[in-house]
Amino acid sequence: MKSKVFSYTKLERKNWKWIYLFLLPTICIFVLFYMQPIITMIYTSFAKWDGFNAPQFIGFKNYMRIFTNSAAAESVKNLLWWSLIAMTIHVAFGVLVAFVLYHKPRGWKFTRAVFMIPNVISGAAWALIYRFIFNDQIGVLNDIIRRINPDFHVQWFFESPYAFWAVSLTWLFYGVIFTLLVLNDLYAIPAELEEAAKLDGATGWQITKRIHLPLCRIAIGTCVICAVTSRIAMYEAIALTTGGGPGDDTMSLSLLLVNAINDYNYGFANSIGVIMFLLGVIVLFVINKLFRMNESYY
Amino acid sequence: MKIKNVIKRILTKTFMYLVLIFTIIISVFPIIWIVLSSFKTNSEILSGAFTLPSTLETGINAFKYLFEEYNFLLYASNSLIISTVSSLVALLFFAMAGYVLSKYNFPGKNLIFILFTITMLVPGHSKAQPIFALVRNIGMYDNIWGLTIVYVSNGLAMSIFILKGTFMSIPKELNEAAMLDGAGFFKTFFSINFPLAKSGLATAGILMFLWNWNEYFYASLLTVSEKTRTLPVALQFFNQSFSYDYTKMFAALTLVVLPGLILYVFAQEQVQQSVAASGIKG
Repeated sequence: MKSKVFSYTKLERKNWKWIYLFLLPTICIFVLFYMQPIITMIYTSFAKWDGFNAPQFIGFKNYMRIFTNSAAAESVKNLLWWSLIAMTIHVAFGVLVAFVLYHKPRGWKFTRAVFMIPNVISGAAWALIYRFIFNDQIGVLNDIIRRINPDFHVQWFFESPYAFWAVSLTWLFYGVIFTLLVLNDLYAIPAELEEAAKLDGATGWQITKRIHLPLCRIAIGTCVICAVTSRIAMYEAIALTTGGGPGDDTMSLSLLLVNAINDYNYGFANSIGVIMFLLGVIVLFVINKLFRMNESYY
Repeated sequence: MKIKNVIKRILTKTFMYLVLIFTIIISVFPIIWIVLSSFKTNSEILSGAFTLPSTLETGINAFKYLFEEYNFLLYASNSLIISTVSSLVALLFFAMAGYVLSKYNFPGKNLIFILFTITMLVPGHSKAQPIFALVRNIGMYDNIWGLTIVYVSNGLAMSIFILKGTFMSIPKELNEAAMLDGAGFFKTFFSINFPLAKSGLATAGILMFLWNWNEYFYASLLTVSEKTRTLPVALQFFNQSFSYDYTKMFAALTLVVLPGLILYVFAQEQVQQSVAASGIKG
């Protein structure tokens, strides 16, 4: 250890005082808002705790509750389905738009610009807008359906089994991040590759399938990770539309977490937090392996 | 063979334009719809989703009502203060950290960088209870500054990542030259590196500002009273109090959505870069 310190030049050491001073604010933020919360979260997830009395350790009981409580079981089931939809349709549509934009059809710049809009406005506002779009009386969707079938009435957000799909539709086609990520990678592909393929007589579709798609593998992997982790964190799209209902049809871990905090069930809240954290890490590693994201391009 | 190719080309083109049109409609229509609806009377709204407003007056009255009867300006200024202050403070702190991490060697450098970046793995909502308890314990519950400090911490990993990269792209020779000229550490950072890092600072700054401006989860968890309400949280209250007064509800939605849209129109390229950067994680 000592020898390592001496391997720095005198000049470098002169600056250390400043360097640590520059790092200090961020280190404080890290300790206060990341390290301490995570330690508290893990430690009290094994306890019954209301925030006023000292935590009472109860082992894995909070975690058992996640798997036996019906609302929690429903949340996990919903998360699995939503993740599946996000990994497939959600990402696929974003990638599809990227491939279309890559060919620069007329209006591609405008499309790219407006596709961002749902991403720059607040998720709470977006959820409420959809609440009205799917409203039975004044909504756009039922207005269209009633032109064909005048007696049609469905409260999309409040009736089983539609609520799950109504919530999904608030984000399903809005994958502009995926589009931008994949476009970035597409632009990085050397033009010679495409030209060589064309000389060999490859058609447009073959070029897309054999050259573009495989070379965007890492970007698509990143998209899948983003897609699933945002499902784990999804809150506004549910809280402001269905509130988890009807029944527990659209319940999620984040909603349960907030409910547990409001009920002073802090130990249970933190066990949900730990599960969310673990799920995120698992998703990251599995998809990293699946898409071989640590390997280089060619 | 040739006809087959032509048909194929036409089909591909049609498909491409269908995708474009669909994308434009789903992105723009909801916004246009709420803006138009805020100018329609309740009975006009009930009579059909696609009718146009007959007068401008209804809408103007609805907007007036929001400003007069509700503290809309208060919510907007809360949102503005919280998101501006938190983004600027965070930007300064993370720029300082990103700068030393990119330019200097010192013990613990790798450990610190790894610790900062793995915070990306923690879903923001998962540590809600400890953050809630922390804010309570320092007496900042239901206080705009409490929310501000939570927001400062929000973009840590992403911003350090972006800013470290930016400072790395600034040639090291500049620092050496500055040192020969007798500039101190502080001056080298503020008058040489900071101005040159403009693009990275803008990317990270806009990203954090947009997040904080739109944030709902922590805002609804850490505030209760009206004086601390931000726009996204106010929406939920509007939704309760205007449950059958659609005109006012749509007017409120329009007002909440507008500032973000305006920012986007004026800083399109920057915002696009920021959103693209936010996907680099993982």
